[in-house]
Amino acid sequence: MTPLLELVGIAKRFGSVVALDGADFVLGPGEIHGLLGENGAGKSTLMHLVFGLHLPDAGQIRVRGERRSIRSPRDAKALGIGMVHQHFTSVPALTVRENLWLAAGRHGAAVGDPPEAQVAGTAAERLRARLWAGLDPGAPADGLPVGAKQRLEILQALATGADILLLDEPTAVLAPPEVRELLALLREFADSGGSAVLITHKLDEVMSAVDRVTVLRRGRVTLSGPISAESPASLAAAMVGAAAVGELAPPERPAVATTSNDDAPVVSGGGLEVRRGEIVGIVAVEGNGQRELLRAVAGVGPRSGPMRVVEPVAFIPEDRTTEGLIPNFSLAENLVLGLPNDDRWSRGPWLDWSAATIRMTALLPEFGIRAAGAEAPARSLSGGNQQKVVFARALEARPAVLVAENPTRGLDVHATRFVHDRLRAAAASGVGVLLYSADLDEVLSVADRVVVMARGSVIPVPSGADRERVGALMLGAAE
Amino acid sequence: MDPIVGFLAAAIRIGTPLAWAALGEVVAERAGVINLSVEGAMLAGALGGALGAVATGDPWLGVVIGALAGAAISAAFALVAIWGRTDQIIAGTAVTLASVGLTGLIYRQAAAGSTTGLDVQTLEPVAIPGLSAIPVVGPALFDQPVLTYLVMAAAPLVWWLLFRTTWGLRLRAGGESAEAARAAGVDVRLTQTVAVVIGGVLAGVAGATLVLAQVGSFAERMTAGRGFIAIAIVVLGRWHPLGVMVAAGAFGAATALQFAFQALGLEVPYQFFLMLPYLLALVALTGVVGRVRAPAGLGRRLEPADGG
Repeated sequence: MTPLLELVGIAKRFGSVVALDGADFVLGPGEIHGLLGENGAGKSTLMHLVFGLHLPDAGQIRVRGERRSIRSPRDAKALGIGMVHQHFTSVPALTVRENLWLAAGRHGAAVGDPPEAQVAGTAAERLRARLWAGLDPGAPADGLPVGAKQRLEILQALATGADILLLDEPTAVLAPPEVRELLALLREFADSGGSAVLITHKLDEVMSAVDRVTVLRRGRVTLSGPISAESPASLAAAMVGAAAVGELAPPERPAVATTSNDDAPVVSGGGLEVRRGEIVGIVAVEGNGQRELLRAVAGVGPRSGPMRVVEPVAFIPEDRTTEGLIPNFSLAENLVLGLPNDDRWSRGPWLDWSAATIRMTALLPEFGIRAAGAEAPARSLSGGNQQKVVFARALEARPAVLVAENPTRGLDVHATRFVHDRLRAAAASGVGVLLYSADLDEVLSVADRVVVMARGSVIPVPSGADRERVGALMLGAAE
Repeated sequence: MDPIVGFLAAAIRIGTPLAWAALGEVVAERAGVINLSVEGAMLAGALGGALGAVATGDPWLGVVIGALAGAAISAAFALVAIWGRTDQIIAGTAVTLASVGLTGLIYRQAAAGSTTGLDVQTLEPVAIPGLSAIPVVGPALFDQPVLTYLVMAAAPLVWWLLFRTTWGLRLRAGGESAEAARAAGVDVRLTQTVAVVIGGVLAGVAGATLVLAQVGSFAERMTAGRGFIAIAIVVLGRWHPLGVMVAAGAFGAATALQFAFQALGLEVPYQFFLMLPYLLALVALTGVVGRVRAPAGLGRRLEPADGG
């Protein structure tokens, strides 16, 4: 059968950076195709080329067997290609209906409302009918919960009748039940003849949800084939390169001097207690007050009740590029911004930039940060390297308390591993670590102790509780 | 006078108030605030300078009072735009329009009982010994009022404050990303307010320069859009204190051209030369001179949480 989409020998450079270096990719009809790779491996670039956001420097794109030049998203939509971007693209002030009209363009305005009866049309029409569940066409987009927003994004991608759906990390923002629902919908879409490319970092999603998988590493395809022939280990090996696999084995858990009771907690208040040397994990469904609690502890948000936090506190905010770092500032400037009064570079009101630059330069190899230098703007770094800079800066404060909010969001296996190691190392050196992650398994595997946040209050997890019990508490189930 | 020396001297003279105002606007815009009330602050500075000089008999006290008047106008803008979270463009336009009305009212009241209006003693050019003896450049650059030398000294000082101090780093952080600045413990609203008021002080000095070093009297609406040209100069100078000095000189030169061409007796309508600086402003704002990165948070309204 002719593949729906075929990419041959695609190459793309951005300035001096080689994003893709002769990548091949084949998407068959009725197939969910997982696209894996570390940050900066070229996954998003490859999909952007298919969607007409960039033009390839070399190579061919064939859609349904015919060679095509896709010069804009408009061309892509006309060829039946829809894309769900990594970030939400709906216009917040417009309603669901208006956003869909906007996405449909001249393809007609009939997409603005849910279909009235059971549809048995194309794959796209059927998926669309399912996605409408619980969506009000008249509701403004900015008031929607995250899961509904993500469904709106997919509806937008389908508004032009696409049967090739490109999804760039669609599950990154979703809670586990929403992820399951989304993957089930994609399966139905594929069963009725549609095809989807799913970019993700989560190996378990790939193993359970896709038919075929392609792995990119530094712009080249390192693995491509049916998922049934692969294991998480083989995928990880293809992603990070054979030499690095050894490093990915579970580490020796450093001996942690946990709760010695005579030691006063470094954080107490708001129903929360963190002691030196322990990692306390918070699990919660999005929007249950964890964001506010973390900011209160970190001292960047209002504290509603009495709370005692031992200074200094370091904060690793969820969003690297809006809260963590200033993209246009150099790494040295970002370092100093977080630690303005550090006497290594602070001379009263004056700054000794050479001292700050020397320190930042020393931090680069120490944290394995790949950057052109301490003077490079933060925006020139990949997501994983940006996160390493945020970590380096947080630890430079020699904190008593380290607050980390979704610290591995959007990171690849390698960078995730780095973050976990650093959190454990910080705890081992006597820091009290407060960790929140939207990934339940991450919290359960990294934290020494877990608490649940539901409807704004902290609920301790009874000892010996299993994953299901924690999940029930997250959803606010009665004791 | 040699026509080239005359042209250069006029360019510097005309560029001086523009440089003062643009230098102040650099501080505000680096902090993330696009302050269109700079036109109003300049006008207030001009009136304050004139009234102050007449009342005290000392032109330097006039400059101080002009600076304070500019600060007051900018503080009003900051109150509305930053603390009231109004759109900066609308707030700046409103404050400028209010300043036009207010200065006109005060001027008429003040001039009503006087026969001379608000004529003041101007600050005379001071030749710098040695430097002013350099051929061509010397008399053009180094035989100017002290306010010209002061702005030349103020530019590196502003650069130093913005790029070599913790205060400047935190100010620029607020202009790039209010969220990141807040996470780093910066009170963004306070920082922006301080930056806007500093901008207002410099705009006030710019207005006072116009009256006390050039025209010698106040007239209604006498700034005639120079505050808006200063905003274009900030773009042309790439949000850099030293860049705006060069850009202000270029605008001064564009204006001075009309005198030079008229002196040469060229058959070009003088209105064309009056138009030149504004044309240059338009070119600067459309980015023909090369796109540069403005502070990422410029003009953005703060969320309640950004205040700190």
